[in-house]
Amino acid sequence: MSLQTDFGPDSGGRVKGLVIVKPIVYGNVARYFGKKREEDGHTHQWTVYVKPYANEDMSTYIKKVHFKLHESYANPNRVVTKQPYELTETGWGEFEIVIKIYFHDPNERPVALYHILKLFQSPVTDGAPPTVGRALVSESYEEIVFQEPTQLMQHLLNSVKPITNGPWTHDTDFEEKKEKTLQKIIAAQTKVRSEISELKEKLHLAKETINKFKDEIAKLQNSSGGGMMTGV
Amino acid sequence: MADILDILELEQPANEISRDSIIHGDKVKKKYVTAKAVKRPEGMHREVFALLYNDNKDLPPLLPTDTGKAYKQTKAKLGMRKVRKWVWAPFTNPARTDNAVFHHWKRASDEAKEYPFAQFNKQVSIPSYSESEYNQYLKSEDWSQAETDHLMDLCQRFDLRFIVIHDRWDRAAFRDRTVEDLKERYYGICATLSKVKTNPWSNTVTMVNGEKRIYHYDAEHERKRKEQLRRLFDRTQDQIDEEQMLLTELKKIEARKRERERKTQDLQKLISRADSGNLPPINQVTNNNEGASTPSNNASSIARRHDRKLHKKKLTAQQRPVRAVETVTVEWSGIKFPESRATGVSMRSQRMKLPPGVGQRKTKAIEQELRLMNIDVAPTPTEAICKHFNELRSDLALALDLKNALASCEYELQALRHQYEALNPGKTLTIPPSICNMAADNETKPVGEIIDVVGSPSALNSTI
Repeated sequence: MSLQTDFGPDSGGRVKGLVIVKPIVYGNVARYFGKKREEDGHTHQWTVYVKPYANEDMSTYIKKVHFKLHESYANPNRVVTKQPYELTETGWGEFEIVIKIYFHDPNERPVALYHILKLFQSPVTDGAPPTVGRALVSESYEEIVFQEPTQLMQHLLNSVKPITNGPWTHDTDFEEKKEKTLQKIIAAQTKVRSEISELKEKLHLAKETINKFKDEIAKLQNSSGGGMMTGV
Repeated sequence: MADILDILELEQPANEISRDSIIHGDKVKKKYVTAKAVKRPEGMHREVFALLYNDNKDLPPLLPTDTGKAYKQTKAKLGMRKVRKWVWAPFTNPARTDNAVFHHWKRASDEAKEYPFAQFNKQVSIPSYSESEYNQYLKSEDWSQAETDHLMDLCQRFDLRFIVIHDRWDRAAFRDRTVEDLKERYYGICATLSKVKTNPWSNTVTMVNGEKRIYHYDAEHERKRKEQLRRLFDRTQDQIDEEQMLLTELKKIEARKRERERKTQDLQKLISRADSGNLPPINQVTNNNEGASTPSNNASSIARRHDRKLHKKKLTAQQRPVRAVETVTVEWSGIKFPESRATGVSMRSQRMKLPPGVGQRKTKAIEQELRLMNIDVAPTPTEAICKHFNELRSDLALALDLKNALASCEYELQALRHQYEALNPGKTLTIPPSICNMAADNETKPVGEIIDVVGSPSALNSTI
């Protein structure tokens, strides 16, 4: 991997006001052996991956991806320096994988993702059909936000090439998901806002009633106060 | 030293310092020399005995013995000057009137002076009055002149020690009077006389800035004070207990009152914050996410109908919310997410993290609300979703606060109603039903919906 050298080592100067967003998808696929393997008790083969959401070659700006596996694996720190950024292993249990992405410009700090390796279909998954023989996929959408990147980084981010000439698709329809989520959230927001205004009305009413009650009590106390005092 | 020897049941050694030993030193020494070794007393441990007696059966030295006879020449030098003589001399005390002669020790060199302690015999100056003065100024309906004279006489005799005066009061000749009566009369006379006469009575009149200040005795106040003390002293144990009980009750009531006032203040703040319109308009997003944005205020009336079912919360469980949580939210009216990020790379989903100021309980409550509305607690992080998701949660936090505030209002209303009913039996106040129905909602809430608070970790990621 040869770096562009025109920017020199002092490429730390940041481009003010610029924000570049790179959407990515990360997660894992898992396939059941069908039985427990004799020698080590492993039941699944799985692949954890980080891939671009758009059809772009991330290796222009990503230096390496570091997968940190469960400590029971031999050398649990696995480093992938080339596209595709994925790692295939076998195992029998689910655990959290820390995925750390390093960039070519050392001035940009690495970022970490946390993925919980999924091997088993949850008993009740809404909508999804039971996957028999089919690979199980658990993946998430994420956006890497480059806030005021360095000039070197800006150059690298803007000079990405497509990975394939063919179509670049994902297992999950994130576009639909995004849209649905947003609709749902906005609907909820509307609802909550109206609820808030309603609550405010109620609160005002409650405050007024409290004052009214207090007045009533004060009136009572004033009128009967003399009698009470002599009674005592 | 003698004590120890007594305990050890030893014979008194001779070199003990006493008047005898000083005066007849020689004899004692002889006695010491002839002192015989003693047998071990009965009951004494052998080890202790061995410590006391060496092999020669000599008595152990009880004083330092390094003053050998040969060097015992110098006498103790206690002072540099010559010793001055003291004499047993007679004296008279000028404070006494009987010229009694007593004796005391004094230095022979000291010249005869007046007895120094006589100066401490201070005499109070008691005002005097003539017959005509009495008739002119001091006549009193309550006091006869003879009684007044008796009082002044006693004052003189006992140096204004009114308790003593009261004790020596001639009850055979005059009627019994209280200490306050006596004092009142005496100071009254002093005040009157100091006004009409020019000679100042040192202890009742002080000159301040050239102006006469007359001591005024407030008899009424004194009587009250003593009465109060008497009553305080005369309380029975039952009364003391009851008083204690009432005091603690009072403290409790005041604490509750303060709590309520604090809550109403918080509430006021909350309302004013909420009213000041920190709710930005929601962008009504159309299918392509780019549609015209309209404020959603008009949509609220439509949504109002069916949302009542939805906003059920575990409110009754916590009538008094934790203070920390409450104050945090009251200050913000919702949640304030940090605005801009520092430069560098970050993950979009990081922006949906709740700020650390939001408490655990609040976070849980918000997540519970989100689940009820079937919204992922970690939705796909696009910019628009992040923005709206954060706004939604801020609104939810505000709504929760308002609900809490409303619950405390309702509680206060109930309390006030009870107070009213207690004051005015048979009558009651009606709380507007729209305020109460929240509690009713809570009671009818199906139990199943509030259980799944802790989601499985896999719920964070969508699964296909």
